[in-house]
Amino acid sequence: MIRFILVQNRQGKTRLEKWYSSYAEQERQKLKAEVHRTVASRDQKHQSNFVEFHNHRIVYRRYAGLFFCFCIDTNDNELSMLEAIHLFVEVLDAYHGNVCELDLVFNFYWVYAALDEMFLAGEIQETSRSVILSRMDQLGNLE
Amino acid sequence: MFEKSLTDLIQGLRANKRNEAEYIRRSLEEVQGEVQQSDMHCKSAAVDKLNYLHMLGYDMNWASFNVVEVMASPRFGEKRAGYLAATQSFHQETDVLMLTTNLIRKDLASANAMEVSVALDGLAQIATAELAADLFDDALAVLDHSRPYIRKKAVVCLYRLALKHPEGLHALVPQLKERLDDPDPSVVSAAVSVVCELARTNPHNYLPLAPKLYHLLTTLTNNWILIKIVNLFASLTPIEPRLARKLHGPLSRLVCTTNAMSLLYECVHTAIVGDVIGVPLPVADSIGREIDFAELCAQKLELFYESRDHNLRYVGLVTLARLQEKRPELVAGHYETVLACLDDPDLSIRMRALDVVSGMATRRTLVATVKRLMSQLVLSNAAALQPAAPGGVLGPGQQADACVGLPQTDASGTSLVSAQGALVPSNKAGAAGPDAADNPEYRLAVVEAIVGMCSRQSYENMTDFEWYVATLADLVYTAGVDVDRLLSERLLDVTVRVRQVRRFSTQMSRRLLSDSRLVSRAAAGGANAMTLAAAAYILGEYCSLLPADPDDAALLLPANLAAFTDEQQATFVQASMKTYTNWLRDVAGYWSADIWEQVRSVTSSIQRTLSQALFPSEGASSGDALEAGPDAAGDVAESAARLPLQVSSRLRQFAEAIEVVSVATSNPGDSAPPVCAELHSLFTVYELNPVSAAAQGKVPVPEGLELDSFIGIPIPDTSLKVIPPPPPQQQQPRSTAAAESSHTRGSRYSKGTGEHMERRDREGGPFYLRDDAHGGPRARGGPPDVDDIPVVALELGSEPKSEQPRPHKERKSKKHRKRKPRSPSPAPAAVDIAGDEDMPGIPTEAQPGTGPAAL
Repeated sequence: MIRFILVQNRQGKTRLEKWYSSYAEQERQKLKAEVHRTVASRDQKHQSNFVEFHNHRIVYRRYAGLFFCFCIDTNDNELSMLEAIHLFVEVLDAYHGNVCELDLVFNFYWVYAALDEMFLAGEIQETSRSVILSRMDQLGNLE
Repeated sequence: MFEKSLTDLIQGLRANKRNEAEYIRRSLEEVQGEVQQSDMHCKSAAVDKLNYLHMLGYDMNWASFNVVEVMASPRFGEKRAGYLAATQSFHQETDVLMLTTNLIRKDLASANAMEVSVALDGLAQIATAELAADLFDDALAVLDHSRPYIRKKAVVCLYRLALKHPEGLHALVPQLKERLDDPDPSVVSAAVSVVCELARTNPHNYLPLAPKLYHLLTTLTNNWILIKIVNLFASLTPIEPRLARKLHGPLSRLVCTTNAMSLLYECVHTAIVGDVIGVPLPVADSIGREIDFAELCAQKLELFYESRDHNLRYVGLVTLARLQEKRPELVAGHYETVLACLDDPDLSIRMRALDVVSGMATRRTLVATVKRLMSQLVLSNAAALQPAAPGGVLGPGQQADACVGLPQTDASGTSLVSAQGALVPSNKAGAAGPDAADNPEYRLAVVEAIVGMCSRQSYENMTDFEWYVATLADLVYTAGVDVDRLLSERLLDVTVRVRQVRRFSTQMSRRLLSDSRLVSRAAAGGANAMTLAAAAYILGEYCSLLPADPDDAALLLPANLAAFTDEQQATFVQASMKTYTNWLRDVAGYWSADIWEQVRSVTSSIQRTLSQALFPSEGASSGDALEAGPDAAGDVAESAARLPLQVSSRLRQFAEAIEVVSVATSNPGDSAPPVCAELHSLFTVYELNPVSAAAQGKVPVPEGLELDSFIGIPIPDTSLKVIPPPPPQQQQPRSTAAAESSHTRGSRYSKGTGEHMERRDREGGPFYLRDDAHGGPRARGGPPDVDDIPVVALELGSEPKSEQPRPHKERKSKKHRKRKPRSPSPAPAAVDIAGDEDMPGIPTEAQPGTGPAAL
């Protein structure tokens, strides 16, 4: 199960956060800082994308200036999580067209909508890109 | 009124980077006003802004009611904004949550699928136990919705609700079963995920689903779902072994054919964890040979951890560790590759490789592996303690008096031969980045791995114990992390259990203690203090194995002894006494006038050192006071009274012994006074064997023995501490005897001392003699029972048992007097590894590393 999802930029600012477990407000701040510290200091070329974190694992991927971090249980398949991250980014890209960090900032509720389409309650919900994108279009038309 | 939209807010924020806080404050004020307005559009825009600010860290809980209002809006866009804000900012205790119940219920029943979906999303996030209980049935009803999109969401949302409201699980499970048959693949996938999660905690309930899942496994081709199903089977196979047999076919087919690394990984992982490899059916590998499934898995794993991709490496090593638990022989062949992974710059990979390597240790590979690990510690050790010139650590077999420099691992593998004098910079032969090895977590793991490998299963892998002791001593210098307790325990363990290495170990201890820098560092900061105490104990206990050295006693009383902890001081003083008396005994064999002189001088110098070590602030004057004289013991007793009990008792003993010796040697005689020769026998009456930790509990309490009844009157407890209750194993025999008194005793403990005293006052005060037997010596507030004094806190084996006077001496001395024959354990180095001593006829509880029970 996914514990939480964080999208942070290189300076540590959180662009997106989704908590699938109950954490107190204080704890959340601490976790965000800790995740940033752990992930930002890793070298992409020589190190893997999996970090042990408390009793869980963080699967992360860096896209331009953003770190997409998923915190999962130890018995989850990390490789599939990595794929899920990539899928998510692809969805965002397809929807916004060449998405950049600014898009995430200004249209954050779209990002959350996409996230909710893909992941619900800590599980991967939908893995078909076309289905997700059609859903997002429908939502857009409703606005 | 012109209100800022969300976009304006963000743009403004970005424009005002310098006075961000000010800008935000202003915006917050504006938002406060906007959110109270009745216009829904305005309200929802305000909520959006609040949401954004919340992401930046500004609390928005004051607006929770407004958020609920927005959630209730009929317009979808606003509703969604409200739900989003709710999921972001509500937590379990938000009080407006109960207002949302009806709202969500309405939304769930809505005709508009979008509203249903957004309600499901929100509900999954914010559900509390009450919400879950109220809305469970409504959500269940949605499971039959016509749109698969909604069904899928409902499945996952119900999982969340069931977590909060476990009673709903009964209703949920049959529905989940049906959903597995759903025509839409995403619903099936969602159902599988949910079952997977649930099965982790309670696999039995989901076993009936196995046939259906098996069907899915064989028919579906969507990799994501397959991964989930395979993962799910990993939870189910441990409880249903026949499942493993059935799974063998599809799993092996998947392993052979799939191209997706993630699926391959999952299959191999499940095959190992679920013990499908235990099924003795052969599998065809890539070139058509028939091999065992386990071998096939090992082959595939090779692909992983030999790849250049670090992710695959990591994942491969994790699985390799699991494989090793089941089939160590398969993994042993990959020793070299895994050893190479130890040098990987990634810390997580290293840790995994460390796990695997330490599991692979055999007699042949142990020494090489440990050397490799030690070299990692040494090469990058910026914080290594450098031993002072006359001290230092030796390789086995070197003379005790050879001059040595620093420990250094030679590339050719000879242990720790060192160059003289200066610090030789070790050539970092292209080993891993210094950062990874400097990580204290890693270092700690390495030290633990080294120690674990060596001492596993009563040292089954050890061929050269002297080398092991030398390694332990090296670790004192090179560890760079706090492994004090571990090293001290290990040092003692190996010395006490393995007779043959005691001599070498004692030499090593002497070496360690002679290192004045190490000692002063330990006194100053406590680093390695426990190890030094252990070394002191060893030196004291086994000093008879070495040629007696009069300086040993002084060595064991370093100038800064008072800076150590009480137990450690006690150990040092005791060990000093042992070495002193040992030397006396030795010297008594060849008595002469010179020897007499020497004895006198050594004795008086010991006295001085003793006082200086323990009362450093008093300087030389007290040293004179402690000169040999008729009232020397009295003075010592006075000063000693200021010290803690353990130290002062030993100090008094030592002072008495010295007194006796100086009296006996006051006149030069032709032969040694008998006391010189006999004093050491105080310490050699019994050989101290390792005792298992649970042995004490197995000593049966004699019938009719009432340990907790008061002998006299309870004295008021003026201390603020609550005295701990008696250990549970002594309650049984007493339960029949004084049931009520134990009950009142129990309540007495739990309520603390206030009521305690109150009750006593009520019963006539503490100073009146009573003859009813309530409570025990421990309930009395007076000096705690000797049993309660934590004198056994020393991790130094069984020393306290012989030294501490115990009120229940009869029981324990019986135990001591029984000498158990020590049965040999199968060590290739032809050593005796002592097992734990225990009561006869009672099976010893095996500790890890215990030899066969000595019966």
